[in-house]
Amino acid sequence: MERINLDNLKVGYKNPVVEDVSFRVKPGQIVALIGPNGSGKSTILKTITMQLKKLSGRLFICGDIDKSYTEAELSKRMSMVMTERIHPELMTCLDVVATGRYPYTGRLGFLSSEDKEKVEEAIRLVGAEDVADKDFMKISDGQRQRVMLARAIAQEPEIMILDEPTSFLEIQYKIDILSVIKKLATERKIAVIMSIHELEFVPAIADKVIGICDGQVYKMGNPEEIFKGEIIEHLYGMPRGTGDTYINGLIGYSNAIEDILKAAPQGIEVTLESDEV
Amino acid sequence: MSNKKRFYLIKFLGMTILLLLIFVLSIGLGSADISMQDIIKSMGNSRDAYLYKIIFSIRMPRIIAAIILGGALAVSGFLLQIFFGNPIAGPYVLGISSGAKLYVALTMVICLKYGRVMSSAGMVINAFAGSLMTMGVVLLLSQRVRNMSMLVVCGVMIGYICSAVTEFIIAFADDSNIVNLHNWSLGSFSGISWENVYIASIFIFAAFFISFFLSKPIGAYQLGENYARNMGVNISALRITLIMLSSIMAATVTAFAGPVSFVGIAVPHIMRSIMKTAKPIVMIPACFLGGAIITLACDGIARTAFAPMELSISAVTAIGLAPVVIYLLVKRKEAKNGAN
Repeated sequence: MERINLDNLKVGYKNPVVEDVSFRVKPGQIVALIGPNGSGKSTILKTITMQLKKLSGRLFICGDIDKSYTEAELSKRMSMVMTERIHPELMTCLDVVATGRYPYTGRLGFLSSEDKEKVEEAIRLVGAEDVADKDFMKISDGQRQRVMLARAIAQEPEIMILDEPTSFLEIQYKIDILSVIKKLATERKIAVIMSIHELEFVPAIADKVIGICDGQVYKMGNPEEIFKGEIIEHLYGMPRGTGDTYINGLIGYSNAIEDILKAAPQGIEVTLESDEV
Repeated sequence: MSNKKRFYLIKFLGMTILLLLIFVLSIGLGSADISMQDIIKSMGNSRDAYLYKIIFSIRMPRIIAAIILGGALAVSGFLLQIFFGNPIAGPYVLGISSGAKLYVALTMVICLKYGRVMSSAGMVINAFAGSLMTMGVVLLLSQRVRNMSMLVVCGVMIGYICSAVTEFIIAFADDSNIVNLHNWSLGSFSGISWENVYIASIFIFAAFFISFFLSKPIGAYQLGENYARNMGVNISALRITLIMLSSIMAATVTAFAGPVSFVGIAVPHIMRSIMKTAKPIVMIPACFLGGAIITLACDGIARTAFAPMELSISAVTAIGLAPVVIYLLVKRKEAKNGAN
């Protein structure tokens, strides 16, 4: 059974941004949305997380027939890491991760010992133990992204929505974050939908790739099917004939990354002392 | 974790003791000096009717009012700061107090014209209506004005307009009671009766407890609307509740004490730096205590500094707390020029 099923979905603000979006995501599957800036990847993700109202079409979550979930019901099924920055005041990273337990805590929000364990486990999983007690506003972007991912993990979702989780990070952080995502999908059977700009990571991480441009889903398939010269050319509006050259160069790099990701199944053994601000 | 709890407990205990100290001091201080012995005596059998009257009919209601209303003001400010996601917000700077003042003055003058005196509850309800109206204007502006500092400037302007209109109303109204109205419109705790205190405490404690039990969603809201929604918070319900709660608290204060400046904006900031946290479950009671302490102390100064003349409470709070607001503005600017 699919965790998420989009059927002829039209998304946008007042005017539609992307029309006729239909795809399904199974438990443990990672779906990558690719496409140029402004093509509507984030708009699709925001519609799935119910930040935006869908314009038309149907959106099934965990098999339920397009019913509109209350926020509380949805929060136990779906967590997210978005591109917007948060500015929590006087909160440690541990506090931020602990907010992921919100749907499970009682009336006043006190953490049970089980909640605390889950929080610590999530922090361990992303390798953020060393910053757990630091002020969230005083750590680096890369560390912050890890903490936000840990927050999403602590929410124990069945579906995770990630909007450009690797953008603006240095290479080691990208690899760490992606390997954690991969691990979550395989071990916990979480269905992941993510947008990503770095095409070189897509073959290593994604089971399904959805290329979006010109207000519609242009192509959908597994990475081998999508990573073809003419498709990439069309998707990103590149000059004719450059696509093949690009793909040829990309394959080598992305194979290397796939190897690195496989070599580090724990993914988070690398610690970067110098990265603390 | 237990360390943290002990830390909060010590801070709360310290503040409670401080409040009690100022409380006792406030009973003693005033145009008629009352010594500690007199206070104890007046409680006992050898009752001095004159002392008893001063303490229990004049000073006590005033002190209790300063405590409850000061606390309410600070909590109202804290909620507004959460709502706007900005530490430079408060019922006074956003013009909400002045809006409440205008509406109360208007209805009061109309009532007096028809030979009626407004009840305490009537005052609160009118003040609430006024504060909601100004809140509406501020909310409309906030959709246009994304910059928070500019919103505060707009709020201050709204405040000025409301105050000016209030002045007109007072100037053109013909009644001897207007003299009282003038004092009230500057902000003062003088002349508060026990009846006022009862009514105020009903509204304030209701709003306070609702706020406290909303600590969890309010805490989630601190991460921003989208994450809060993803955590399962009903955003629009929470936003409406926050507006209602902060307005009712600011309105109750204004109904009985007139506009009291800067407590709402500065106390939450002082409390954040004392408690070293922004968690609502700690901050809401802390703000109440802190607001009570500061307001009671300021009222003490207002009463006694140039006795028998009384200063308006806002004059004292402004001198003490406006610098805190300036500091906040400067610090924010620095933070912006810095890393982010």
